[in-house]
Amino acid sequence: MKFSRRDLLVWSAGAAAGLALTPVPWKLLDDTSIWSQNWPWIPQPAHGPVDVKLSSCTLCPNGCGLRVRMANGSPVGIAGMASHPLTRGALCPLAFGAHQLNWHPLRLRSVRHRGSESSFEEAHAAFGKACAEGPVVVIDGYPGRAASAVLESFTAKKGEYRVVRGAESRALASYEKWSGVPAAALGYDIENARTILSFGAPLLDGWGIPGRFTRRWAESAGNADPNVRLIQVEPSLSRTAARAWQWIAIRPGSDAAVAGGIARVLVEEKLVATRGPMPPMTLTDVAARTGLEANAIRELARAMVGQTPAVAIASDYNPSVAALNVVLGAVGTRGGIVLRSKAVRSADSTDAAFASARAVLIDSSVPWEFVPETNAEVFRFAAWDGGSSKADWLLPAPGFLEELSDIPTAPTAGVETYAIAPALAKPPHTTHSAWQFLVAVDPSLDTPEKIIHSRCAELFRNRRGTLHASEEMPLAKIASPEKLEEQLSQGAIWVGEPQRSNSFRCELKEWPAEAGYSIQFGFPAAWSPPVLPLLASKLYEESNLRGTTEGRTA
Amino acid sequence: MSARYGMVIDLDRCTGCGSCMVACASENNVPALPHATARTGITPMLVRRVSNGHEGVQRREAFIPILCMHCEEETPCVHVCPQQAVEVDAATGIVMQMPQRCLGCRYCMTACPYHARYFNWSDPKWPKGMETTLNPGVATRMRGVVEKCNLCHARLHSAQEKAAAAGKREIDPADYVPACVEACPTAAIQFGNLADANDPVTRESRSPNTFRLLAKIGTEPKIYYKSKEAWVRALAEPNSAATGTLSASSSASLEAHHG
Repeated sequence: MKFSRRDLLVWSAGAAAGLALTPVPWKLLDDTSIWSQNWPWIPQPAHGPVDVKLSSCTLCPNGCGLRVRMANGSPVGIAGMASHPLTRGALCPLAFGAHQLNWHPLRLRSVRHRGSESSFEEAHAAFGKACAEGPVVVIDGYPGRAASAVLESFTAKKGEYRVVRGAESRALASYEKWSGVPAAALGYDIENARTILSFGAPLLDGWGIPGRFTRRWAESAGNADPNVRLIQVEPSLSRTAARAWQWIAIRPGSDAAVAGGIARVLVEEKLVATRGPMPPMTLTDVAARTGLEANAIRELARAMVGQTPAVAIASDYNPSVAALNVVLGAVGTRGGIVLRSKAVRSADSTDAAFASARAVLIDSSVPWEFVPETNAEVFRFAAWDGGSSKADWLLPAPGFLEELSDIPTAPTAGVETYAIAPALAKPPHTTHSAWQFLVAVDPSLDTPEKIIHSRCAELFRNRRGTLHASEEMPLAKIASPEKLEEQLSQGAIWVGEPQRSNSFRCELKEWPAEAGYSIQFGFPAAWSPPVLPLLASKLYEESNLRGTTEGRTA
Repeated sequence: MSARYGMVIDLDRCTGCGSCMVACASENNVPALPHATARTGITPMLVRRVSNGHEGVQRREAFIPILCMHCEEETPCVHVCPQQAVEVDAATGIVMQMPQRCLGCRYCMTACPYHARYFNWSDPKWPKGMETTLNPGVATRMRGVVEKCNLCHARLHSAQEKAAAAGKREIDPADYVPACVEACPTAAIQFGNLADANDPVTRESRSPNTFRLLAKIGTEPKIYYKSKEAWVRALAEPNSAATGTLSASSSASLEAHHG
């Protein structure tokens, strides 16, 4: 029998059709896809003992309470600590990916001197030489920590200590001028305010301790007449403006004029009992400057006194907004600007600090964007490399939860707090903190560990306030300073007692002429690392929810 | 069915912070692939920004978290899957995705009316050392499979193990909270058992301002939304005078309907 070409084609087609009716091709297709998908180099989660540790976030001065899930000795997940008295379990979105930050590709892994690889030994030698030749300026980003005390002690002998203050702290600077009370001792009694007039401050988007205001706002956000009225005065529809009770759209840069207009109506219409200076601008001037109608400004002023206590919050340094609070009677009163501590001293400005400096040492807590204008040799500590550094020396510092730190009161808090964040992760390479670097130069300095011991002993001696752990406990019931430190190291937070409401006053004779700053916030306002967690950048890019370049490198 | 897990998301409380998205990705070991886009990335929880369509001072905006709706009836992805890689768990009502069975045909992605499914285009990779931060309770998924929200099923397993160890058959509701619910700083996302008439989420799902997306197609989604704002609810009305627009990374628009 002859097997023709036609027969071959018919046979082939029949075989193919027959095979297709069997499970073989489909099974092969399935198996091939599985074989080609699973490779030994695909990472799998590490297995080992799983544990939960309580701590506080060290990535910005707000120190939110963290519940850190640990596996095999490494942090594998972050959640909020529900028992935290201020955050009540809330965190900023970045914190949820913060445990991956230590492995970020931009992690600074070695010492760099003007772009070349160097070592801590060479950096020590250069710094020691600089100290011998002239004064040193040490710059801190989160003042009040035990590590800050080491930096300050060093400069007491060899130079000057300066603090780079964030926008939230700068917003309180006017009260310092008018009352003599350091801004670092002041805060907002947000918990008791019922009307909040925000001048561009991102109250629902990372302002202050994230969660402190959002939790309270959310309780009545769905109500037509909420328990806390948030009025957002801002040129653009920000996240906070989008969700505020009222959004007042103004011309950019006219915040001070709006504050002045409201104050004028409050005084003219005798809507407030307190006496304050009359702003120089008439309502017509204010309307022309801000783009609002005069009636809208009157309505705004009436809304401020319609549900009290009311307070105005500026996004940055703005004396007119502070003056509005003075006129409103929101200074030193419940629901307004309050004195939270008496034991804080004023922080000196960085201006003109560098003229005679031989070296400038910048702590890793200072935002990457801060670049001192100086000819001195700059030693910059950082855990992540934000790029384009003008520092002579870049020195790798411990990353997230890689070193013991204490958490002093957050800049906007209305009461004093104290917590301890223990080291929960090991640095993947050699790192040194600025304080370790200075202790190596001057071994007579105390270490943060020792300072934390003495701070716990002092708290114990004062016997004031409450310790918030799994349950609330008056400090007087704690048996010893060691027990207090142990509890704090395990995630408890000490909360002080509120100061008397009339313990702080401002004397303001005339309306401030200074315009202040009017800034559009990038997100997040207080986040200090120059990078975002990779997951956050990924998700923001993929969702278009936020630009990852809003303030930080992706 | 002993439980029907679902959510009520209060859009008046959602500030669009994205905590739910980051917490979800962290919990479920979603890799941060470089250069992924809205079409190639994996975002089991995706928050979209919506507006009333006006400009200037009349403009209003809100945020809508979109996740798998865990459809209960005629679940589209279950119907089209040739591999039985998707099923509705009769004990929980959760629409489960089994990557081991998934062939990667993506029929389910086409069928999903909510665009809540994502294809794993690349091998899961992390920068060196970052694999030590992965959640040990969730396995990484391979390239070539479809992913979606499974209501943090690993957490349900943990809660079930805890209950079993205590000699109980039912879990303590406090032990099973998905990562997005736990992370929401305004408690906008509420999670509970819709089969339990006394569960606050069940009561909330019946409140007048509650709606479901695409409820008219009859798939009985178990994710409810809530808003007092008429224009937000109007977004869910396909035939209304259309005051709203869904401006998201995807060009797809979602049609929605009152539940």
